[in-house]
Amino acid sequence: MSPKPFLLAAEGLTRSFDGFKAINDLNFYLDEGELRTVIGPNGAGKTTFLDLITGRTQPDMGTLLWDDAKHDLLKLNEYEIYRLGIGRKFQTPTVYNDHTVTENLILSLAGSRGIWHSLFGKVTSTQRDRIAEILKTIKLTDHAKRKAGVLAHGQKQWLEIGMLLAQEARLLLVDEPAAGMTDEETYRTGELLLSLAGKHTIVVIEHDMTFVRQISQGRKVTVLHQGHVLCEGPVDDVQADERVIEVYLGRKSKAA
Amino acid sequence: MAQALLSSANVMARWIDFSRRLLAGLAFAFAASSLAFAQAPEKSVRETIAAAAIAPTPAEQREIILSLKLKPTPETVTWFENWKSGKIFLYDDAGVVTPVILTGKADDDESFATLKLADDTPYTTADGKPVRINPKTVQFAETDSGLRKAMKEVSDIVALANPDLAKRLRAIQDAAVGQKVEKLPALLVLKTTEKNPKALKALEESIAIIQLRSPVAEERLAACEKLGKLNSLAAHDTIMTIRAEAENSGDTAMANAAKSALRAIDDHLSRINAVGTLFHGLSSGSVLLVVAIGLAITFGLMGIINMAHGEFIAVGAYTTYIIQKIFTTGLNISPFGMSMSIPGMNLSETNRGWYFVVAIPASFIIAALVGVLLERLVIQYLYKRPLESLLATWGISLVMQQILKFIFGSNNVEFTSPLWLSGNWTVNDIVFGWNRVFVIGFAVLIIVVTWLVLNRTSLGLLIRAVMQNRNMAACMGIRTERVNTMTFAFGCGLAGLAGAFLSQIANVNPAMGQVWIVDSFMTVVVGGVGNIMGTVISATGIGVSDQTLQQYLGNPVIGKILVLGAIILFLQWRPAGLFVTRSRSLD
Amino acid sequence: MNKQPLTSRVQFPLLIFSAVFLVVIMPVLNAYGCISDFTLGNWGKYLCYGILAISIDLLWGYTGLLCLGQALFFTLGGYMMGMHLMRMIGGTGVPTFLSMVGRQEWPSFFMPFTSFPFAMLMVILVPGLLALVFGYLAFRSRIKGVYFSILTQALTYGAALLFFRNELLMGGNNGFTDFRMLLGYSLRDVSTKRGLYVVTAMLLVAVVAGCKWLTNSRFGLIQRAIRDSENRVLFSGYATANFKLFIFVISAIIASLAGALFVPQVGIINPSEMETGKSLEAVVWVALGGRGTIVGPIAGAISVNALKSWASSGSTADFWPLMLGGSFVLVVLFMPKGIMGIPGQIGDLIAKFSRKTASSDAPPPASADTSQEAEILSSTASPASDS
Repeated sequence: MSPKPFLLAAEGLTRSFDGFKAINDLNFYLDEGELRTVIGPNGAGKTTFLDLITGRTQPDMGTLLWDDAKHDLLKLNEYEIYRLGIGRKFQTPTVYNDHTVTENLILSLAGSRGIWHSLFGKVTSTQRDRIAEILKTIKLTDHAKRKAGVLAHGQKQWLEIGMLLAQEARLLLVDEPAAGMTDEETYRTGELLLSLAGKHTIVVIEHDMTFVRQISQGRKVTVLHQGHVLCEGPVDDVQADERVIEVYLGRKSKAA
Repeated sequence: MAQALLSSANVMARWIDFSRRLLAGLAFAFAASSLAFAQAPEKSVRETIAAAAIAPTPAEQREIILSLKLKPTPETVTWFENWKSGKIFLYDDAGVVTPVILTGKADDDESFATLKLADDTPYTTADGKPVRINPKTVQFAETDSGLRKAMKEVSDIVALANPDLAKRLRAIQDAAVGQKVEKLPALLVLKTTEKNPKALKALEESIAIIQLRSPVAEERLAACEKLGKLNSLAAHDTIMTIRAEAENSGDTAMANAAKSALRAIDDHLSRINAVGTLFHGLSSGSVLLVVAIGLAITFGLMGIINMAHGEFIAVGAYTTYIIQKIFTTGLNISPFGMSMSIPGMNLSETNRGWYFVVAIPASFIIAALVGVLLERLVIQYLYKRPLESLLATWGISLVMQQILKFIFGSNNVEFTSPLWLSGNWTVNDIVFGWNRVFVIGFAVLIIVVTWLVLNRTSLGLLIRAVMQNRNMAACMGIRTERVNTMTFAFGCGLAGLAGAFLSQIANVNPAMGQVWIVDSFMTVVVGGVGNIMGTVISATGIGVSDQTLQQYLGNPVIGKILVLGAIILFLQWRPAGLFVTRSRSLD
Repeated sequence: MNKQPLTSRVQFPLLIFSAVFLVVIMPVLNAYGCISDFTLGNWGKYLCYGILAISIDLLWGYTGLLCLGQALFFTLGGYMMGMHLMRMIGGTGVPTFLSMVGRQEWPSFFMPFTSFPFAMLMVILVPGLLALVFGYLAFRSRIKGVYFSILTQALTYGAALLFFRNELLMGGNNGFTDFRMLLGYSLRDVSTKRGLYVVTAMLLVAVVAGCKWLTNSRFGLIQRAIRDSENRVLFSGYATANFKLFIFVISAIIASLAGALFVPQVGIINPSEMETGKSLEAVVWVALGGRGTIVGPIAGAISVNALKSWASSGSTADFWPLMLGGSFVLVVLFMPKGIMGIPGQIGDLIAKFSRKTASSDAPPPASADTSQEAEILSSTASPASDS
């Protein structure tokens, strides 16, 4: 086991919906600075797991501790968890459609979230520079003044990642970033995530195995199955694991 | 329907009356056999009176008259009156005295035709010639004070023994007023023949109340104890007086007896009030339920905030009104300056009561049809915009109200409620009004029907599928548009039913639905959206707590405000209502 | 796309002109007899309604909270002012609404209202506190959407029931009326009426300016973000409940101020002003004018009420509810952005038409395609967005 303290530690998490256990006795540990990929067949509980971390859903049982157990995430609500530095990109791109791209980023900028600040706080020049920088990173500089709603699907995905960057989150939870993207866009998304690795701790949930291979590069991959961790390890080991082939890859090949 | 029930009630009453007479007759037979004057049991009132009229001694006369106590009928009193006013004549035909009465018109020599008092047949001579007599020449039957006293005794009993149960009960209860000891004998006699348990209880009560003034101390104490045991509400005030008097005069035994009797009565009273409140609460909850169940469909299942729900109730009520008019005199209306007249069938009193039976399906159908129209014209464009459906339907409610005003005017329209709704049923001093019982029954019926439609028909299956996931249902080939229309129409139809129902218990005018809007939305919200069972429970809960608060605060407005406040606090605890469907989709 | 800067260029001078017209020119014209006292009085009322409409729009158009209780706050402000005006009537004895319930003396809670500043403080505090408590409870338990509407309606209903009672000592059915003096001026004087009108117009201008500033600040961004996707805002670290509570209280106070100015101008306040229909009627003004804009609600309030004054008297009176209700349905169905949205709708129609004629010789421009796609996307609800 790692001598470093865990950034995020989930133990014995269980969450059921009308008898169906979406998450079942889940144990999951994450180190600071990791880029972890989580894979698993449909219904494995990947998104529910993110819901639990971000406070969108409460578990029936289990613990969820943050930053060397300094905080109990289960006692906090959504925005308090966010303020600890946990940012999330949703599975379907969720940006503010009626706001411009720049406004979307302004809303996500790190800093006070109070009413007073929202009324009288000005966007500083450092913040403007930061926004310009992010726009460049997510390749939306030309679209800065357009409403987010009119962006293409892939651009929205990127904008949402940009919002995570503006937040300066310690932990980025990225739910299926490559969904609905072209191969080229997917590849560029992978590059972007890789460039962030190290600066941020990142958890990526993904289906696309090419993408997973691209970003994991020997890093740890976690396989979820029926709300439980099936196995963990480098992507090659995981793909060679018989149980994984049976529950996940096997099914996938059948479906294909 | 009302008339039909009424006539069946008449039949019932007649049957009860018959059996009561039968019992009284038997009692008479039984009692008479033990009397010194062995009268033949089949002797009619007239025969008895005739016998009394010719009895040789005043004592015998009295005894025969008193024997009538056992057979108290109003006829007796009539004959007493005739006797006392000298209308019974004693015709002496060679020593054989026959009591006769006069009939017909006087002829030239002022003589009248005669009928035998005993059997109402013409009085004839031996050769069959009708006898005519001049009242001035024939002696009439006289009365002395002893006889009159006996007659009064019998008359008192007759007054108490009215064959109509309600009147009899009233007479028995009235007898106790003033605690007059002279009323006691009649009550005591009646008690030996009375078979109806209610009347018997009333008799015991009245007797005991009078005995509270008995000169015998033991009897007073016993009466007090008895009244306590009977939980006599009627005696409550009297016992209070008795207690005060006993305390003043230092009669501790009596004061204690009065105290314990009062305690028992008060306990009984609070039990009655509790049950009564619960019953009222149930019935007002049922009204709420009937009114809200349609919303539970349109709002709960479909997410349409139908502010015009109240106007659909009005549509149902006016449909009932039109049908009532068709069954009777017909209807002239002049919507938008056009004059229309609907002919009436002018049915007889008994048949026109059926209008309500016809109105129930009609109000459902008409309201549902208006619902179809509304859904096609407006609602179908607003399924994804619930707040705007609220606004549009409010506009529609204004329009519908105004149209109703144009057609029917803004005043209340009159309904002749079936008579059976005004009766009641009393169990152990608790009054269950038929209208409230009807309300509860109707609510139960509607819930059962709604439940059956939703859970046991293919339409229900489609409704539930579409309401859970419109897109998915559409993908599976369900014609969601049609299901939407039908669901909305079903909800509106239920509102129409509520209207038919409210026409019997509330005022019907174009704005009648407005009163219910806030209440019924609250009911559905508290029950948990999309859950019929939740609506049932919340309607009952709100109804009962509303009535209870009204009872204890003595003020309907404050009670209502408290209930509203309680609902807001309740939603703090359960923001999604009583029943929440937990699912993975969170929004 | 390039129309946007043009309209905003025209908009500002137009706003300034309207403000000057309402605050200065109208009363001057009235003083010289070009506008009748009656008309000016009516406009005073319309402007109060305009302020009420803005308060609704702040909640509904900008934050997505359809509050059906704004008429309650409006009426409460009116009652606070009414209590002051009642104390100012003077004379001996107590008003009939008190003697009717057997009171020979003013209840003690009326006493401080003799002071005008105190009454003004109450105009702000009473509705503000009510909104604070109710809003805290509602937003804490995350009641939103139609539930919020229904609950605010219930609140208003309950309050109306309470105010209809004589025992509340607030005048029962009849409310307060027969006012005479305000700050030493007779309410019957033409000049006082004109003064009240000017104050109302100034308040309206101030409220418009304030709302412009508010909605253009970052707060405005958050407000609209809450409207479009409250959950997403939570996941951007904002305590949305606090933001909603803040704007709820602010708009309650705005509505209350409008009510306080309304009462001395119409000379009466009674509980029928807070019946549930009144709030909905005010929502109609906003919907008709165009929600999510500042000017739209005012335009809606003025036009609907002007039309109402004209239509609800005489032979057309019976048709007024039909017109109001019917126009409401039509607005919801065909003009979701109200009057303010009409230029845009016409522009869309023209664009559609020109594209149709152009499509025969040239492929449609790329931007049109994306906007179409955006429409499709925004209409399908994403899992994290609120419905």
